[in-house]
Amino acid sequence: MTDSRTAVLQPTGRLNMVAAPAFKNLVEETVASGQTRIVVDLALVTFIDSSGLGALISGLKATRQAGGDLRIAVVPEQVMTVLRLTNLDRVLPAHATVLDASHDW
Amino acid sequence: MTGDYLLEGLAVPETLNLLHDLLERVGHEHPDIDGGDLMLFETAVIEVAGNVVEHGRPQGAVSWTFQLRVLPERLEARLSDSGEEYPGGTWGLEMPTDPLQEDGRGLALATAVLDDLEYERTDSVNHWTMIRTRA
Repeated sequence: MTDSRTAVLQPTGRLNMVAAPAFKNLVEETVASGQTRIVVDLALVTFIDSSGLGALISGLKATRQAGGDLRIAVVPEQVMTVLRLTNLDRVLPAHATVLDASHDW
Repeated sequence: MTGDYLLEGLAVPETLNLLHDLLERVGHEHPDIDGGDLMLFETAVIEVAGNVVEHGRPQGAVSWTFQLRVLPERLEARLSDSGEEYPGGTWGLEMPTDPLQEDGRGLALATAVLDDLEYERTDSVNHWTMIRTRA
């Protein structure tokens, strides 16, 4: 399922303008350490805003540029709604579980 | 407008969490509000406020007053800020066409979840009025 190139990140609480910069940095550091396949477990995220979406897109680009990918799993209702309204569900499809997101990179 | 709820402060990222807390309080004190309505209204409020934090000038020195009213048929909020005038028109109201663009979705998202979003400037104050009709 997972290997040394895979990391699971689990942000918690509000992924908004306050928290997004730190999350973006965390993804960049993870990619820089050689883990270019990232699953973001969103189960504990209570709210996301456009800054949080920007951090996910930034992470998606960073992983792909390094030959990997970024996937999202266990997506709560508010996050799913915001992804749909911004059409980002097409570039960041939701996976039901972290395990589901960790196959076939 | 006069609000049932009032919050005043500086338009900086950290105060966004106070707005979140206020919306949470509204939900506790008005359990009759549909959860989906409140969730989407909170999404809009945070996007409009985030837009002020990001684009309000002089940055870090803009103060704001947030008022919210719970009415039988709608949720209504007004954010008034002391910053410089914003460019008008449809600036920022449309989703970016590039799905990998990292910013520029805030006001478009707010517009999508509100029945009405209006911007006006009177007496050197910017007013953002947000209305969502209740389910």
